[in-house]
Amino acid sequence: MNPEIRTPTRILVIDDSEPIHALIKARLQPEGLEVFSELDGEAGIERATTDLPDLILLDVDMPELDGFEVCRRLKNTPATRDIPIIFLTGTASTDSKVRGLDMGAIDYVTKPFDQVELRARVRAGLRTKQLQDILEHQSFLDALTGLWNRAYLDRRMEGEINIASRYDRPLGIALVDVDRFKNLNDTYGHLLGDVVLQGIARVMQDSARSSDTVARYGGEEFAILIPQADLDSTAQVAERVRQSIESHSFEVRGSNIGVTVSVGVVCTAEFVGELSPENLLNHADRALYASKDAGRNCTHLNVRGKIRPLEPGES
Amino acid sequence: MAHEPIRSIFENDPDMMEIVRDFAVALPERRRSLQALLEANNLDALQVAAHQLKGAGGGYGFQPITDTAARLEQALREGVDASALKDHCQALCEVLDAVTVSENV
Repeated sequence: MNPEIRTPTRILVIDDSEPIHALIKARLQPEGLEVFSELDGEAGIERATTDLPDLILLDVDMPELDGFEVCRRLKNTPATRDIPIIFLTGTASTDSKVRGLDMGAIDYVTKPFDQVELRARVRAGLRTKQLQDILEHQSFLDALTGLWNRAYLDRRMEGEINIASRYDRPLGIALVDVDRFKNLNDTYGHLLGDVVLQGIARVMQDSARSSDTVARYGGEEFAILIPQADLDSTAQVAERVRQSIESHSFEVRGSNIGVTVSVGVVCTAEFVGELSPENLLNHADRALYASKDAGRNCTHLNVRGKIRPLEPGES
Repeated sequence: MAHEPIRSIFENDPDMMEIVRDFAVALPERRRSLQALLEANNLDALQVAAHQLKGAGGGYGFQPITDTAARLEQALREGVDASALKDHCQALCEVLDAVTVSENV
């Protein structure tokens, strides 16, 4: 899911034979791959879950947990589900190859393996994974603005809420809605409305921190997910975005027009108990509507269910 | 029957020299372990040992290890009689004995 390319590429070997570890390492290291190994299934699953390798070479024939069971468990765990697995098999039986592929492995290599073949299959596996990542990345982008889309925001929020509650680090959310966007569309036409949305997306992206997630949430509504931020820092980011948009001039048909946004802010630190993405967005939405009611182009906060405007000088 | 010296086809491969040597140096120990397992009639562990030698041998450039270990593993899987088993084990041990690596690594 994370589109960042991490270097170097890391390969986990799970095999009960140490000479195989040394052999694979000697064969793959010259390719610039980092190789680490575990001797049994349990240790392998644990390592895969904590270290999240780019690819796993998994021995079928191991005492206790065999490779099929390890594969099944890795594929049933969200964190490790998408890591490509290549089976190492001692028997060339069609049955075990088919079984492995049906369980979600992308390929198999028969032992003793030819080094050229091993390298080629690992390269092919990594390439397939990279293409999958690119496709997944694209399916999470908003086509008009290039920001993350609603589907990504929902998924990312779940992850960030988990992290926030587990490590007791607050998470802030700002909902941003373009003021009188319908008028703008009616006056200048939809195409120019689109140009304005693209411009707002750029301004938001520039004024948010690099660790923040900026998404297009709906038609003219945007959301910013701000990790490790208390209410004050969340309000600060939100207010910076609002002011940047207010002072930006959008060029439409050769003339410059001003656009404003209304903002609603909420932070997990101000709420106790379990919070779902839906809850938080609803809380933020109530603050946003208060900003609209108050005359637009301003920011409101939802503090434990109480809505109040952001005071001048507060952020 | 004594073997001609068996050398790794990768012994001059710079990526492999060192680990081929490490692998070869550990073979006498593996050979002793094979015989101990056979004498103790610990056939499950013997099969695991044969399976591992089969998987690794060829990868280190010693195809005869893979071939003889595969025959031993197959014999154990099929459950052949004690004398045939001893012959397969002996054949593998002779191959392990014949493995030679250059001194100048």
